[in-house]
Amino acid sequence: MDQTFDIAEQTIDGVPVVSVTGEIDVATAPGLREHLQALVASGSSTIVVDLLNVSFLDSTALGVLVGVLKRCREAGGDLRLVVAEPRILKVFEITGLTEVFSIYPVVAEATAG
Amino acid sequence: MSDVVQLSLPVRADLVVLARLTAATIASRAGFGVEEIEDLRLAVDELCLSLVGGDSSGRLMLEYSRDNDVIEISCTYVPDSDGANQVHVEPNESDLSVRILEALVDEHGRDTGGDQPRAWLRKRRVHAAL
Repeated sequence: MDQTFDIAEQTIDGVPVVSVTGEIDVATAPGLREHLQALVASGSSTIVVDLLNVSFLDSTALGVLVGVLKRCREAGGDLRLVVAEPRILKVFEITGLTEVFSIYPVVAEATAG
Repeated sequence: MSDVVQLSLPVRADLVVLARLTAATIASRAGFGVEEIEDLRLAVDELCLSLVGGDSSGRLMLEYSRDNDVIEISCTYVPDSDGANQVHVEPNESDLSVRILEALVDEHGRDTGGDQPRAWLRKRRVHAAL
C-alpha cells in the first residue's frame, strides 16, 4: 500500500466531485459504495468520481462503480469518472467498461460534462 | 531453478493486500517489468476474490512458484474445520473478474469440485525490468 485510502468530496459548478486516494479493493470498496449511495440518496443524480490518485482498482471497485452508475442513470443523471493513469484506465479497457462510463482526463472536463 | 513461497492468510478483506504484495515482490525479484508486476498484482487479487464470498471464513493458502521466466500462483480456500462455518459460499467469479484474468495472465483455471476449491494462474515474463 503506497497511499492511505481516503475519500474527499467537494462541489464544483453544482456537481459533487468525490476524490478517491489509495487502493480500491475488497477492503475499501464498501466505504466508497456507502459514500456514493448516500450522495444519490440525498438527491445527487450526477456525480463525478475523481480516480486520479488511485493506485490500484479491482473488480470489486468496478462492481461498486457500475452499481452506482445504474442508480444515477435511473435518477436521470450520470456517474462520470476522471482517470489519467494508464494502468487504471487499462482495467476499464480490458473489462469493456470504457464503453459504459463517461471517462475524462481531468476534473474540469468531467464537471462540464 | 524453482522457488516456492507459501502464504497462509485468514479470509479477511484487509489482508488480501498481502497476497498482492507477495506476488509483486516475487515478480520484481524475477525480473518482471513494471507493467507485468502490476498485472500480476491485480490478477492474484482476482484469484483470491474468485474463491471466497462475502461471508466466507477460513483461510486462503497461496503458493507462488517461479521457474525461469514463469510465475505460477495457486490459491486454495480452506474452510474452517470447526464446523461452525461449513455453509456453502458461492464463489465470486464475476464476469469482470474473469475478463481481468483472461487479459492479464497467460493461463488460469479453477478446480471447485472438492471441499477446498482452488484457482491458479500462470504468467510468463516478456519484458525485462529496466
